[in-house]
Parts: sequence; structure tokens; C-alpha cells
Amino acid sequence: MIADFNFLDFVLYDTTMDGEIYNVTIGALLKFILILSFSTLFARILTLYLRRSLKDKVSKDVGETFLKFLYYGSLIVVFISILPLIGLDPSGLLLAGGITGIILGFASQNIVGNLVSGFFLMVERPIKIGDQVQINDISGYVTDIRIISTLIRTYDGLLVRIPNQQVFTTNITNIVGHPVRRFEWTIGIRYNDDANAAIWIIKDLIDKEPFALLSPSPSVFVNDLGESSVKIVIRIWAPVSEWFGMKTRLLWTIKQTLEENGIEIAFPQRIIQLQKVPEKQQIEEKPTKEKEIESVLNYGERVLT
Amino acid sequence: MYGYYDLPFSVEKEGISISVENVEEGWVYKRTLGTEEVEKVIFGDEKHIIINPVEPLNTPKEITPNLLIEFEKTLLLAGGEKKQIFLTFPIEIGIFIADKGNKSLQLLDVLTLVRQKFTLYGEVSNGVVCKHWKSQVYSNPPSPNPLQEGIIELNLRNTSSEWASISKAVFSAYGMKLYYNGDVFMKARMDIINRTTAETGFELQHISGELRNQSVKNRKSRKEAFGVYSLQKLGFVPLKFYMGWGF
Repeated sequence: MIADFNFLDFVLYDTTMDGEIYNVTIGALLKFILILSFSTLFARILTLYLRRSLKDKVSKDVGETFLKFLYYGSLIVVFISILPLIGLDPSGLLLAGGITGIILGFASQNIVGNLVSGFFLMVERPIKIGDQVQINDISGYVTDIRIISTLIRTYDGLLVRIPNQQVFTTNITNIVGHPVRRFEWTIGIRYNDDANAAIWIIKDLIDKEPFALLSPSPSVFVNDLGESSVKIVIRIWAPVSEWFGMKTRLLWTIKQTLEENGIEIAFPQRIIQLQKVPEKQQIEEKPTKEKEIESVLNYGERVLT
Repeated sequence: MYGYYDLPFSVEKEGISISVENVEEGWVYKRTLGTEEVEKVIFGDEKHIIINPVEPLNTPKEITPNLLIEFEKTLLLAGGEKKQIFLTFPIEIGIFIADKGNKSLQLLDVLTLVRQKFTLYGEVSNGVVCKHWKSQVYSNPPSPNPLQEGIIELNLRNTSSEWASISKAVFSAYGMKLYYNGDVFMKARMDIINRTTAETGFELQHISGELRNQSVKNRKSRKEAFGVYSLQKLGFVPLKFYMGWGF
């Protein structure tokens, strides 16, 4: 006699939900896995589609944060709603969550810390994807802010992964946090050059440079009368996206234009004045020197005796 | 120089030289302005070239969609008053390639003959970078060189009860609508909300000022220019500019 046995109805374990005994079968477990897998797949496809659709409409950092919330949020909702399939009561999570949270907190302090930091990084947004930042002596572009870690592409093309807890608790310098920034040079010209003319030439070059902002206005002034040069300080404000290119380009132009106008960048120099002593005076001075030597010798003798 | 050109063609004006020549594999677009040279190869037949003024925010690099026009003289407008003034704005010349019927428009090149300068509107921490232009304030439309400067008809409206001292206006390129035919024209408005805030925007109607005296036939002849910013299909972009750091 062969018993009518359905594999999917095989009871794995029993749980109690709302005071009633609930049998968790293989079929229910498979259903749970299938729904979760399909939901994950669907959430991935949806985020992929939205990423493409929003590409030109929303800035990358806003879009990515929105998509991450959507992806993980939808998965959490699905996960909680299908928990009864495996015999877990979602309402019990409130109580269990507290206990589980404590256990998880002790067991995986770093992971939870990074997770919470990642959440606050996404909400507070001290940095955004695409920003140029300096975190713990690591400088570069933020390529992604993930749940656990932040990815930085350094200026020399290396990928650095920084745990979010470290990002959140350390000093962050956001190089592009403000729309404009200032940079400065100090140029030393010779003392016999006209500093007013040099200032006029430099101001004219700054005026011709489109990205040197009119407001806040640039400043060019004599800052110091140095040992071997007159120091002229140049301060220019530029859009954050353009300052570096301008800084590397404009300095050489200033140097060339100053030289074309007869104003040169001073080398370090020291003036030594040589005075010729008359012969007669040299002869008169000789005995004195001998006297001095003699007295020194006498001093030595005295010390020895 | 502005207008529609069938291929091949060549045009020269004020130091600008633009040509599209037929070569074996397709067409070659060439443009020279001073020492600057641009050359592009085009594959495709039955196309034509459109040269028209575009929003002045594409050269030397598109870093901001905002144009700040600084007035030569500060204006004082009494509370509740309205005033129509005319300003000039810088011109950038856009060269587009399109199918017959102006479908599938593609920007080929943008150039300008005028000085370029940027400035910051607002605070260092949260202001906005703007393209800068200084203009005289006219009560009647001026007649500038259409390859270099256009005319803005600006309708000022002081909705507050206090005097407003106006020395600048900031406009967003996303709302700009340029019209051309002999001159280049935009119609804008600036609503003063209170002592430090105002809102600027553009209007589609381009018939005003000197054109009021012209015949209806002439009024219709002014063409709407294709813009670079209108080609970018961006959503959620405000067409108005909110001036929150004074004017």
C-alpha cells in the first residue's frame, strides 16, 4: 500500500501564532524563498529602470539615495509581510526586535555602527556622490555612498573603501561644498621694478580670465618687503569646478607677461660691499695684530702655568 | 548670418567663418574665429544647418544656467509702481544641424564674440555662480550689433509698498525664449516681492517696444530661436529665478 504523500506538505516545524499552532511546510518555505527572490529581482529591475530614467533629470547623488531607499525599503516591507509563511509573527518583532537589537548590537557592533552611520550620511548629506572630499588624509572623488561603506576614487585613480562609521565620526573636508573658493599666490619682484605697474598688469590679466570671479573681487597688493624681493600677493575667487585649471594656467601667463613688460621675478640675492683699505693704514695696523697674537699666546702660557 | 542653410554652404561675417563642405564620406563642418578652429565630420543626407542666437551660457564652458545683468545705474522704483525698461544681453551663436522640418535637432557648435566673465550672486557658502553682463538701462530699445548683443524688454513690478533700489537682475536660462530677425529679442519680467527678494522670468510674447509701431506682417516675421537649454529634456527645472540675496 502506497500512502498519498505530497512532498510540499511535509511539516518542517511547528510554531504558535495568535495562540494557534501553525505548521511550517516545505511548500511554505519555498514560497517564502520564491517571493523574496522575485521581490529582490523586481526591486533590482525597478531601480535599474529608474536609474536610467532619472539619469538626466535628477542629480546623481539625489537619485542614488532615492533608489537605495526604494530598494531596501521595498525589500524590508516584503520581508516583513511574508514572515507568517515561515511561522514568524511580524507583531512579535516589536518585542523580539528589542532583544534581537541588543544581541545584534553586541555581536556586530561595527557592522551596525557602519549601517547607522551610512543611514545618517544619506540623510544629513555632508558629502554627495561626485563631491571632491578629504577624509582622514584620503583625497578624491566620492564614487558611491553605500549602506556600510563609502567609496572614494583618489586623484591618482585608486579605489579606497572607508567604513561609514569612520566617515561619520571624522573631520570631512568637502572641497566642492561651496560654489566658489579662493586661491592665492605670492610673487616676488625685484626692488628696482615698479610694483604699481606689476599690480596693474596682473589685475588686467585676471580681468581677461573668464573664471576669475568679479564678485567676490580679486585682490592684488604688496604684502611684504622681503630680503631680496617685493612680495605681491594675488588672491582670486573662482568656481569650484574651475579653480584648479585656472590656477595652473594663469600663474605662468602672469610670469611671462611681467617679463615681457620688463618686470622680473627676483632671485634670492645678498649684496656684499667690498671696501679697499689704503696701504698706509694696513702697515700701521700690522703691529697691533702681532700684539694681539702675542697677548693670546701669553694668555695660553698663563693658563698652562 | 542667422538663418537656415542647405548643404553645402559657406558664410563669413565679423571674423567668423562657417562652412559645410562635401567630402567623399559625408560632410565636413568647419568654423574659425580668431585662432580658434572647430572641425567636425557629419554623416547624413537631407540635412540643413540652422544658425541662430542661443542662451548666453554655453561658452567658454557651461558651468551655470544663470545670467546676471548688472545695471550701469541703479534704479529706484516706488512701492506699487510698474516700469518697462530695456537692457542688453550677451549673444552666443548656436549652430545646429536638423532634418527637413527641423526634426531631430543636434547642436554642432556654439561661439561668441563678446567678453566672458562670471560672478557670484549671494553668499560664498550658498550663493550661485552666474555669467556676468553689464548693461546700460534704456527707456527705448537700443540697436546693438545682433551678433554681439541682444535686447531684453524688462517689465519691473514693485509689489511691495517700499521703495526698491535695483542694480541687477538674475535670469535662468531654462526659461529663456529668444527671437530674432535683424535684432535679437527677449521679453522678461521682474517682480519685486520685498526689500531683498524678487522673482524673474520670461514671457513668450515678443512683440513690444518699437515693434508696436510696426505692421502686423512685420511682427510675425520674427523667428523663435532654437535654444541649447530647451534641447536638454530635463524635468523638475524651475523656469523662474528667485533672487533671495538682493537686487
